[in-house]
Amino acid sequence: MPSASGPRFIEGGYQNGKNETGERGVILELDSVAKTYRTRGRGHVEALRPVRLQVPEGSFVSLVGPSGCGKTTLLNMIAGLLPPTSGRVLFEGEALTGPSRDMGVMFQQPVLLPWRSVEKNVMLPAEVFGLEPSSVQERIGETLEMVGLADFSNALPQHLSGGMQQRVALARVLAYRPKVLLMDEPFGALDEFTREAMNVELLSLTRPAGITVVFVTHNISEAVFLSHRVVVMSSRPGRVAGVIDVPFDDPREIDVMRERTFTDLVFEVRELLDKHEDRSGAPAGSETT
Amino acid sequence: MTTENTELRTTEAPLTGAPTAEDVPLDVEGSQWKWRLGTVATGLLLFALWELLPRAGFVSPIILPPFTDTMYALYTLVISDFFMGHFLVTLNEIFWGFLIGATIGLVVGIALGVFEPLKRLTYPFVVAFQAVPKIVLAPLFIAWFGYGQTSKIVMAIAIGFFPVLINTMVGLENVPNDRIQLMRSLRASKMQIFRKVSLPSASPLMFAGIKTALTFALIGAIVGEFVGASEGLGFLLDTYNFQLRIDRVFSVIIILSLIGGVFYFVLEWLDKRLIFWRQDGV
Repeated sequence: MPSASGPRFIEGGYQNGKNETGERGVILELDSVAKTYRTRGRGHVEALRPVRLQVPEGSFVSLVGPSGCGKTTLLNMIAGLLPPTSGRVLFEGEALTGPSRDMGVMFQQPVLLPWRSVEKNVMLPAEVFGLEPSSVQERIGETLEMVGLADFSNALPQHLSGGMQQRVALARVLAYRPKVLLMDEPFGALDEFTREAMNVELLSLTRPAGITVVFVTHNISEAVFLSHRVVVMSSRPGRVAGVIDVPFDDPREIDVMRERTFTDLVFEVRELLDKHEDRSGAPAGSETT
Repeated sequence: MTTENTELRTTEAPLTGAPTAEDVPLDVEGSQWKWRLGTVATGLLLFALWELLPRAGFVSPIILPPFTDTMYALYTLVISDFFMGHFLVTLNEIFWGFLIGATIGLVVGIALGVFEPLKRLTYPFVVAFQAVPKIVLAPLFIAWFGYGQTSKIVMAIAIGFFPVLINTMVGLENVPNDRIQLMRSLRASKMQIFRKVSLPSASPLMFAGIKTALTFALIGAIVGEFVGASEGLGFLLDTYNFQLRIDRVFSVIIILSLIGGVFYFVLEWLDKRLIFWRQDGV
């Protein structure tokens, strides 16, 4: 396995109950993935400079940064929804040519279909995959139980709160047990209490199952709490500023946020962000003059 | 400022059983009933005016036949042996005009909404056709299709198809993008995206177009009958008008309004059953 140049990686920096040696397969690799847009009249806008990153299987990686740093663009490229201008996204060693059914995406909005019940919404992927509804009934029921919405399977999305709708979206993506979960600020629209509860729930759903997660957020403590690794990004132009490892053991409780190490890590992330924001006077991106 | 007594001052509110005047809950039920009564009273007043103004001579009874005379004329009209024929003719024209017009609108609207090149090719023609006030086409349709029901059906189609077309097309073009992205992330096929997301997303707008088409089909049929017909409620209306039998004119107007009203309520009911989800940008 080639070691990545660029940001440092500390193997074995996290443990989950499954593998003690810390040596894991790399399920996702970003091989100098970059995105440039051509705009009318103003030449090229470099939305994201080349990113080199390796995501070990079963790990939780956050992409943290201010608006405009390209984190959503990067996530969409990992998802196969947006083609990179240069570089490639390698999923299980193969270059992506489009979305993969082994990856599940959760967007900022729940994006539930309002004419379908909760159950029918969760069943959408199965329908698209061509599976018989009866064969997935049990799995759907299980997943709804996992997110605590078993009693709401016949409710319409319009009758649910924002947090509940996001949980339906989570159930929808977990129901088909993708290997990788890509999440774009899924809890951004929720209040702090609901968000914290959702974070704890997310950990309990993904860690034991060994699901790899790439999580976009602008909330630093959320990123540190959830992740094994925090990829710090900065803007103008979008790029990776650094990578920070989070050494807390699993399972993590909310209490971990009170530890000194936690606040230190948050501070470290903040420092990385500030350091790169100071250079924003002359954008290094190539807007042709 | 010195205060000797630093205790919080509270006033005691003794709890007795009897409610005070302010405690009586707002009588929502009762006040709504009062408004209903008001509406009925206003209606009765209007009917009274309708009856009395012509009878007292304030308005010529030729222009405004008294309410009771109108009701009598309506009654005699409906039980007459020629009425049912005319009634069914117009109903038939509206029905087929609406059905065919809405179908054309749907099919073309879907074609233009889904296939962008087709839309760019034909849309100017569609807009140009709509710019023509369809009423002026009536004599032309009579000349082409004759005095019978066909020309009225064509008229109803000509007016009715456009709202369905435009609403369908716009509805399909404005499917929220994140729903499309969701389906793309699942590697859904184009047909799956269309059937599972685009069509249902567009259905509120499509249905609004269909409701409009029914109203227009009714207008189209009537106008066609005005211009050239030997049967139908529009023909009757025109004939009675010419004969200055205004009581019968009112009667036909009432019948046409009832037809329109019934159709509207049926579609409203369908709307509530089929489009049962909230549509404020969701």
